[in-house]
Amino acid sequence: MSFDAELDAKGLNCPLPILRAKKAIAQLDGGQVLKIVATDPGSVKDFEAFCKQTGNELMSSTEADGAFEFMIKKSA
Amino acid sequence: MAKRLSAEQRRASIIEVAKRLFATKGFHGVSIDEIVREVGVSPAILYRHFASKEDLYQAVLQEFSCTRESYVETVVEDDISFEKVLRGMTRVFVNSIVKDPDLLKMEMHSQLEGSQASQDFFLNRWKSFTDYIEYNLSELQANDKIENINVRAAGLMYQGMIRELLLLKCMHANDRFKETHIDQLVNELVDLFMKIISIKNQG
Repeated sequence: MSFDAELDAKGLNCPLPILRAKKAIAQLDGGQVLKIVATDPGSVKDFEAFCKQTGNELMSSTEADGAFEFMIKKSA
Repeated sequence: MAKRLSAEQRRASIIEVAKRLFATKGFHGVSIDEIVREVGVSPAILYRHFASKEDLYQAVLQEFSCTRESYVETVVEDDISFEKVLRGMTRVFVNSIVKDPDLLKMEMHSQLEGSQASQDFFLNRWKSFTDYIEYNLSELQANDKIENINVRAAGLMYQGMIRELLLLKCMHANDRFKETHIDQLVNELVDLFMKIISIKNQG
């Protein structure tokens, strides 16, 4: 899956990954995609809630090797 | 307890009782016998759900992390600042502990007797604050918005403040701030912390 920007939030506890994602998304145009990698297990629920509340689309949420990867498309 | 419970309900009732006992007496202070007696089941039934006392303890912690406080509400707002988010996070965290102080009690026991795994679990909850403070203060420092301070020590100081507040409000029989509501104390501690950090041309 292609993306327009990437955020490494590994090793950080919530809410920092969410806050940094919020800042990164603000830099994007509508329809562009941000990829986030985090290690806090709580980030799975948090990014779901974040997207629900901000109207951005959580395109995917996957786990591999103890890291969580999220693809978020900025709302138009 | 004659009532027939589903396996899931039974598991939940064991966790509930174990949580209360671990909070009162610590991990080593509670035996499996005591737990099954309180739940009203045989040891065989408990072992059907949990392989060992360690396993049960981890399940109790797991239960806490499922209902873990969410800071998302605090950070999605449009107009946020370091102070506003810190205040919001602290309020959410403090109120979740006040509502269910068992977690704080288990943390205190675990400081003395706990395994590495349980100590890591509790430390990880504070890491939300220390990460947030360290990251943001470093950024403020890089932008010359605050004086040079040791940002890690600032995180530790904050953790100490909030932990002591929780001990006072949740565990001390003699609360010398009885007149002051916990939300107000949170606000005053955050005010003090912000004064020390003293962000330039704020507001």
